[in-house]
Amino acid sequence: MKALVCVKRVIDYNVKIRVKADKTGVETENVKMSMNPFDEIAVEEAVKMKEKGILNEIVVLSIGSESSQETIRSGLAMGGDRGILVKTTSDLEPLNVAKVISKIVEKEKPEIIIMGKQAIDDDSNQTGQMLAQICNLSQATFASKVEKNGEKFDVTREIDGGLETISVELPCIITTDLRLNEPRYASLPNIMKAKQKKIEQIDVGSFGLNLESRLEIIEVNDPPERKPGIMVQDVEELIGKLKSEAKVLS
Amino acid sequence: MDSSNLIDKTEIKSEIEDKINSYDLILKKLEILSKKVSSFLKSSCVKDGRVSSSLLEKVQYKSHGYAWFETYRISLRELLQWYKRLSSTNKNSPLDALVLAGGFSEYLMQIKNGIMMSQSEIIRPEDLGLTSEDFSFFNEENFSEVINYGLSEDVKNEIVKYLCQGNFPSLGLGDETLEMIQDQFKKFTDEEIIPEANEWHLADKLIPDEILSKMSDLGVFSIAIPEEYGGLGMGKVAMCVVTEELSRGFLAAGSLGTRAEIAGELIRLGGTEEQKQKYLPKIASGETLTTAVFTEPNTGSDLGSLSTRAVLNDEEYTINGNKTWITHGARSDLMTVLARTNSDEKGYKGLSMFLVEKPRGNCENPFPMDGMSGSEIEVLGYRGMKEYEIALDNIKVSKKNLLGEKEGMGFKQLMETFESARIQTAARAVGVAQSALDISLQYAKDRSQFGKPIVEFQRIAMKLALMVIETSIARQITLFSAREKDNDERCDIEAGMAKLLAARVAWSVADSGLQIHGGNGYALEYPISRVLCDARILNIFEGAAEIQAQIVAKGLLGRD
Repeated sequence: MKALVCVKRVIDYNVKIRVKADKTGVETENVKMSMNPFDEIAVEEAVKMKEKGILNEIVVLSIGSESSQETIRSGLAMGGDRGILVKTTSDLEPLNVAKVISKIVEKEKPEIIIMGKQAIDDDSNQTGQMLAQICNLSQATFASKVEKNGEKFDVTREIDGGLETISVELPCIITTDLRLNEPRYASLPNIMKAKQKKIEQIDVGSFGLNLESRLEIIEVNDPPERKPGIMVQDVEELIGKLKSEAKVLS
Repeated sequence: MDSSNLIDKTEIKSEIEDKINSYDLILKKLEILSKKVSSFLKSSCVKDGRVSSSLLEKVQYKSHGYAWFETYRISLRELLQWYKRLSSTNKNSPLDALVLAGGFSEYLMQIKNGIMMSQSEIIRPEDLGLTSEDFSFFNEENFSEVINYGLSEDVKNEIVKYLCQGNFPSLGLGDETLEMIQDQFKKFTDEEIIPEANEWHLADKLIPDEILSKMSDLGVFSIAIPEEYGGLGMGKVAMCVVTEELSRGFLAAGSLGTRAEIAGELIRLGGTEEQKQKYLPKIASGETLTTAVFTEPNTGSDLGSLSTRAVLNDEEYTINGNKTWITHGARSDLMTVLARTNSDEKGYKGLSMFLVEKPRGNCENPFPMDGMSGSEIEVLGYRGMKEYEIALDNIKVSKKNLLGEKEGMGFKQLMETFESARIQTAARAVGVAQSALDISLQYAKDRSQFGKPIVEFQRIAMKLALMVIETSIARQITLFSAREKDNDERCDIEAGMAKLLAARVAWSVADSGLQIHGGNGYALEYPISRVLCDARILNIFEGAAEIQAQIVAKGLLGRD
């Protein structure tokens, strides 16, 4: 069984984001970039499935500039087998990303497609669902547990009311939630092995897709600054403030 | 970020671009001074065309000063190279530019006015035969402008502003694989080591077996071991990257690899094929933990006076003697023991190296082997592996366990590992310095006094600026010596310089860091108190600062 794992290069989660002066977006120059943490969970899940013998090949896909190769390489160092980079210099919105992935799905015919439920940069949480529609595949989103059950997968999803377990037929799309697993560190031997693994490069133009943007970013702003806290002298003062200022006690 | 800052950003970088030419010229001037100092010293310590040890001893202070002078010069050269490499790939950040400017000016002023060999010993230009005339180029217009720029408070304030935004100077590894390694080990250290390190230290515990096995799985012990013996054969730069990250979490974590490094290098360079096949794969996998058994109660830096004896009877050697400062002595499986095989040879030539297997001990029963006993040496810092003083009483070991199966080679074999061990130790020091910087920066941002975070006070900010400048300089000379080693260049002197500087920097950065913490820094519960204790060892082990300066000075004077 083959898995396609989609990974996105985003600003590292540790970086303090700075909005560009002209408010068109955020600063990315000289900023540390990493794999979207939800996608790391997706890679880890695929590697675990391969270790259990469920999968025999993991293809790591990313869409972006030349630098996205580094992100694919991280996926290969965690245990992916080969990579595909669809090269583009433009920022694609979720629908367009889904269209591009659908072309790779046509080409690779994976039984299972795993990706983060969302990317931490734009928090869209749409690509997996849109891809399911375009490719007409079953989808299991917000997965917190994935188990193979005969020819199907049982996927536990975190929903408002609690946990829901659904059964999906193959081929399917799984989008990963935070608690699905803890991604491994890439070991030195695996980092060295990843250097030898192949990354195929495809130009996005070669698909002949209409990738026109339907969304326009009007403005990006900093969140309002948080007011500094204060130190209180004693419990009485604290309770007083909780009553009079915070108004959480009466 | 507001728009005025954006203008600053490009301005800072272009400001530096204009100055790079001057930095190059200043380095040329320093080269001339260096030659002058060298001939000044040679006039008093060279006899019959060779450096005389006894004459050199008479000018020990000055010659060590020369070692420091050269360490500064090479450090600045490498700091500039670092910036140029970043700049050529367009990866230089404004903070990098500021660190370059600040670093150049600070170290140049020390060269001109007095270099801190330690916090009490200052080497002044006059000690090195230099006069104020030699430094007149400082006053030439283009140079004085460059130097004054780097000394300005503006530069330091800007540096701290960037630090407070979460920026640090670029490492400048210039290689995707190395960057990935750094990234993974940073994560490992942040998640698995830093949250626990202080507790391990305070409880004076061994680093847990579980962490040890995770480190084995990550490949920490296999870095330097060749591929044909189950290692990764990755080279010293990779080793430095891993070591710095682990040491940033806990010095002992970064030092576990040192043990594998010393034993691995001894066997790789001095062992027979059979010995390599037998031991290297197990060292690489972490299955065999090693410990270095060299120092004796009366033999520290002067290994030539070593008195542990190994006597051959037929097929077996019998080893007797007392050893001390045996790091990770209990929880280890293989000792590399330096002992005298030829009692007629009083010096280095009578020494041989043995590979002595032993059962792994633990804290309750450290040495479960007949003839081996010992006690723990309690220490200020550098905890997590435990130090022991041990006695070897009629330990029998096969002839096959003599390293290289050749007597009298022990000291030479050990010498061959010194370059690697010094580079690795320099990287440990950089990690400790970075840890002090990380912790203290956070504290300075969080701690408010007189109505504002203390980082906004000049004396705190200046300290932080110097901490990041010196840590960057130490890192770059360390990576330089590692690259030299990877390129098979002889780099004993550069490795010594890196160790010399990085150890001093780690100590002063840790001390400044503790000062930033005020009284809290003196409390055991604050990690900076541990980092200070850990930093103190760096000037002592793997060649004390004085020995290191001696090696560098002797090497330099003998080189040309």
